[in-house]
Amino acid sequence: MTQVMSNRMNELREVVAEVLEVEPEEITETSHFIDDHDADSLRAIEILARLEKMYKIEIPQTELPKMENLRAVYDVVKQYAGWQD
Amino acid sequence: MLDYADLTAILPHRHPILQVDRVLEVEPGRRVVATKAVSGSEPCFAGLADGLPQSAYAYPASLIVESLGQAGAVLWLLTARAAGETTEGTLVFGAARDFEFLGAAYPGDVMRHEVVVESLKTNSAVMRGETWVGDRRIAVVGSMLAVARPDTELAAGPTG
Repeated sequence: MTQVMSNRMNELREVVAEVLEVEPEEITETSHFIDDHDADSLRAIEILARLEKMYKIEIPQTELPKMENLRAVYDVVKQYAGWQD
Repeated sequence: MLDYADLTAILPHRHPILQVDRVLEVEPGRRVVATKAVSGSEPCFAGLADGLPQSAYAYPASLIVESLGQAGAVLWLLTARAAGETTEGTLVFGAARDFEFLGAAYPGDVMRHEVVVESLKTNSAVMRGETWVGDRRIAVVGSMLAVARPDTELAAGPTG
């Protein structure tokens, strides 16, 4: 993972941790928001709204079911923010 | 301006939980300014003992949140209406973050809510807002999430 990628991943981890009210280090790239961190559909919408504001992007709500862990969130944001890596 | 009768045609809430009296300004998709007058005859003050200090008559924080949230709901519903969309199902207050209470409202005060849209989608809305009494800011909310849920889903109970 490049430095840029890892910085972005940590930025996303902070957002997710804040919404899910857990410590950032508890969230790994593959820990499941619902099964491992007690998230629900409302929290997922909050995460999406925050990401949109932070990166000034628009993510369709149809992407929500995909965003089940940090890795998946990264991929979705990458797509809509046009990140190269 | 929207009066109480107009609000009953927009919000599903009714007496005594309809917590917005009047809308002073509205820019669909952007912001709303709405008021709620607090009176000594509010149901929440019923049955209080004699001899209590003025602080006992501070309007409850939970109802300030509700009132501010309803102002946001008016904004959302009017925005949908202006766009020719209908919001299906029931509006649910999903989350409030960074809520800060800086003062209180007492019988005789008029609360003025100013709510601004952060993001609006078909089934969810994120807003932030402030509540004022005259030139005193009594509450601030950094982020409020509301969602529209199908009635069938709500009747079925939590799905996780």
